[in-house]
Amino acid sequence: MKLIIHDLTEDTLQKIYPEIAAEYIIISDCDNIQPCIGCFGCWLKTPGACIIKDAYCEMGKNIAMCSEVLIISKCVYGSYSPFIKNVLDRSISYIHPYFTFKNGEMHHQQRYKRDFDLKVIFYGGDITTEEKETAQKLVRANAVNLYCTVKSVTFLDSIQEMEALDI
Amino acid sequence: MKIALINGSPKAKGSASGLILKELQELLSPENKIVNLHFRKKQPGSSDLQLLRNSNVMVFAFPLYVDSLPSHLLSCLIQLEDELKNAAFSKDCTVYAIANCGFYEGCQNILALNIMKNWCARAGVIWGGGLGVGAGGMMPVINSIAAGKGPKKNFSGALNTLSDRISRQETIENICFSPNFPRFLYKLAGEMGWRKAVKDNGLKRRDLSRKQV
Repeated sequence: MKLIIHDLTEDTLQKIYPEIAAEYIIISDCDNIQPCIGCFGCWLKTPGACIIKDAYCEMGKNIAMCSEVLIISKCVYGSYSPFIKNVLDRSISYIHPYFTFKNGEMHHQQRYKRDFDLKVIFYGGDITTEEKETAQKLVRANAVNLYCTVKSVTFLDSIQEMEALDI
Repeated sequence: MKIALINGSPKAKGSASGLILKELQELLSPENKIVNLHFRKKQPGSSDLQLLRNSNVMVFAFPLYVDSLPSHLLSCLIQLEDELKNAAFSKDCTVYAIANCGFYEGCQNILALNIMKNWCARAGVIWGGGLGVGAGGMMPVINSIAAGKGPKKNFSGALNTLSDRISRQETIENICFSPNFPRFLYKLAGEMGWRKAVKDNGLKRRDLSRKQV
């Protein structure tokens, strides 16, 4: 199964993906996402699920069900857009609170003993070289923490270019 | 000099970011005009933006969320970027950032500091550098320990360097550090804390590993 997390309008997504498979999970900006409040309730009160009850409380489960995650985000200062970042902040229930060591650094353990593929498309008309470099590193850091494999990180000047991509 | 200390944690009280800023403020000369702000929501309040006007220095302190800034702080920065282009804001404003993470190694904050640097370039303000604080979860525990002592040695040293540079509005290289405390003990203590917390919530230890699918 494939999970798509995007910050595009529904119309734009429809243009890029005219035929979205029914089994795909699509996470869109419904303008009502609540930010993560750092309470760790998704580890300690309802383990594996966020305690904030809105349309984004099952992100850990959503990721666990997918073999591929595609993120489409405006590049903001070398990071994701606030909406995409909000979704990722609300996804930490995917991992376990316990610590482990990878590449000599502390990270969290896996809750689900599995891997998935990650593709990221950043768009924006004037993304600087420094922002691209930061964004590349950010995706790779995310992959270490989420136990996934980065398949591609793509930068596009405009949303229109996405229509030409085979995603 | 007007210095704005901006807490970027979503937590109303008891945040590591708040504790760090409190210690920093104690090191800054009382001759400075210090303004304390707390960005907890997706938008800074209009009074917050008023308070930031004519700041010579802004210091952001925030927790690391998924290798980066918390999303609400990112939203605030986008709005602040627009405000900074307003004539009422000082053009020689220098921005410093203090990112703290739950992982032991302070260097894991480096991308968040880079994002703040990239923001400065967009907003037309001067990047002054930052601190990457490891083991932020220890902050409330070591709060009462005297500055420069025991596990706070590295922290106090870095904070002293930062306050010194702030007073001169100088740019520093990022300083990333871990506490003066063994890493394996930090791991053990942290995991013991998770087990206690889950039991306090009426769950069992094994529930920490609960799967949803």
